[in-house]
Amino acid sequence: MTIRETLETLTDATWSGVVCHLHKTPRAFLPMKNFETLQLVAGRGIEGDRYMIGNEAGFYSHKPEDGRQVTLFEIEALEAIRRDYGIEIAPIEHRRNVTVRGVPLNHLVFKKFWLGECLLEATRLSTPCKHIEEILGKPVFDPMVHRSGLNCRILQGGTVKVGDTVRPV
Amino acid sequence: MTPKPIRTVSTVIRHTSEPIPGIRVMVLQDEDGWELPPFRPGAHIDIHLEKRLVRTYSLCNAPHENDRYVIAVKREEMGRGGSIFVHDRLAVGQHLQVSLPRGGMEVDPQEMNIFIAGGIGITPFCSVIRDMEYRGLANYRLYWSSNGPACLPEMIQPAVDAGRVDIVNTLTAPIPDISEQLARHENGIRAFCCGPAPMLDAFDKAVSDWPEERFHVERFTPVRIASDPNAKPFTLVLARSGRQQVVEPGDSIVEALIDMDADISFSCEGGICGLCRTRWIEGPPVHNDRILTAEERAQDVMICVAGCKGPRLVIDA
Repeated sequence: MTIRETLETLTDATWSGVVCHLHKTPRAFLPMKNFETLQLVAGRGIEGDRYMIGNEAGFYSHKPEDGRQVTLFEIEALEAIRRDYGIEIAPIEHRRNVTVRGVPLNHLVFKKFWLGECLLEATRLSTPCKHIEEILGKPVFDPMVHRSGLNCRILQGGTVKVGDTVRPV
Repeated sequence: MTPKPIRTVSTVIRHTSEPIPGIRVMVLQDEDGWELPPFRPGAHIDIHLEKRLVRTYSLCNAPHENDRYVIAVKREEMGRGGSIFVHDRLAVGQHLQVSLPRGGMEVDPQEMNIFIAGGIGITPFCSVIRDMEYRGLANYRLYWSSNGPACLPEMIQPAVDAGRVDIVNTLTAPIPDISEQLARHENGIRAFCCGPAPMLDAFDKAVSDWPEERFHVERFTPVRIASDPNAKPFTLVLARSGRQQVVEPGDSIVEALIDMDADISFSCEGGICGLCRTRWIEGPPVHNDRILTAEERAQDVMICVAGCKGPRLVIDA
């Protein structure tokens, strides 16, 4: 059995999280902004975001990726980085789209889960890049290794709101 | 065709003006008015005017005015072509690719900060002074010499109105003595200078025995590299790809790097803007830049003006 098959057959632990912050930016390098809602489009991405398929304008858009339609980040990772490294990273600075609390992102690869009314399928862990250090002017590359969020495909679109529940299928 | 990676910030020229003949002010914004990447007071950006024509200009607006980059460019008929391109070839509505902002000046929040500007050298101080005024800080004085009427006083109008600016027109008054200007203030001041080469030389002399952290020089003209009659060829090696090329004395290291497809960006090609800062692995390099400290040179090199003391210069590229 492959790792993927093994992960897919694992029974989800009982967990339930919440959407803390929502972010997007239309073009590479521009600061992310906070939003109360984001509109997710199945199979494409987030309306107005730089990685929306068909309207790519992100730093990595020259490397197309079907599974990068929406990205998530744990607020607990920001708290851990502050604790372990003394580096403050605001939710708006990690450059993922959704900041969640109570969601074990690193355990969701290849799994489906609900983000509010939207159904997502996790495709891979996000990896940090030096690019973010250039943008933020903070040494966040090493602190973000292994806790840099999750890339997902949107299976069912809709509106995601701050305060929405994140839960297993 | 494989899409190329996006390496620059896309902006649109929203407004231009010429407050006095020969000085062009341009306001750059995101096409949707989105906030632009943040910057520190005194920072600068590279503007990609056309292929291999990249120029560095200070940002004149304050960091909190975060939906725009404002630059002011003096037309230099005898320059290297960048300013003439800005004056003659750019118009409202055109797109311009720019770098992320770099650099900046760290003012002392408590002690007196002395800014010494010559002519268009006022530009980095515009953002610094606008920022200090915005934050309610008055612990600074600007000494601004100008060969004619000062070019952009309206950019720092609150400072002018508050009497924190001394403007000298050197067409009608003697060139001020920088040592004397600095001596008007107590010890512990932090001093900054930007202007033409003779002014920078005078400033360097005036602060020659100051601690490094108490002064800052902003240069606009590339440093002239003295040719070394004893220079020998060296092999430039890109550690990541393994590519290498011999650089003969007098050859352009930038051309060599372009030939080797090195993933390094260049702007000033004169060792002042900082864009090509690269980690070196083997050398040691001959450092010809004017911005790195001794500590920084122990690991990094401004490769656009570098030479090599040994037979091989291996860089992390």
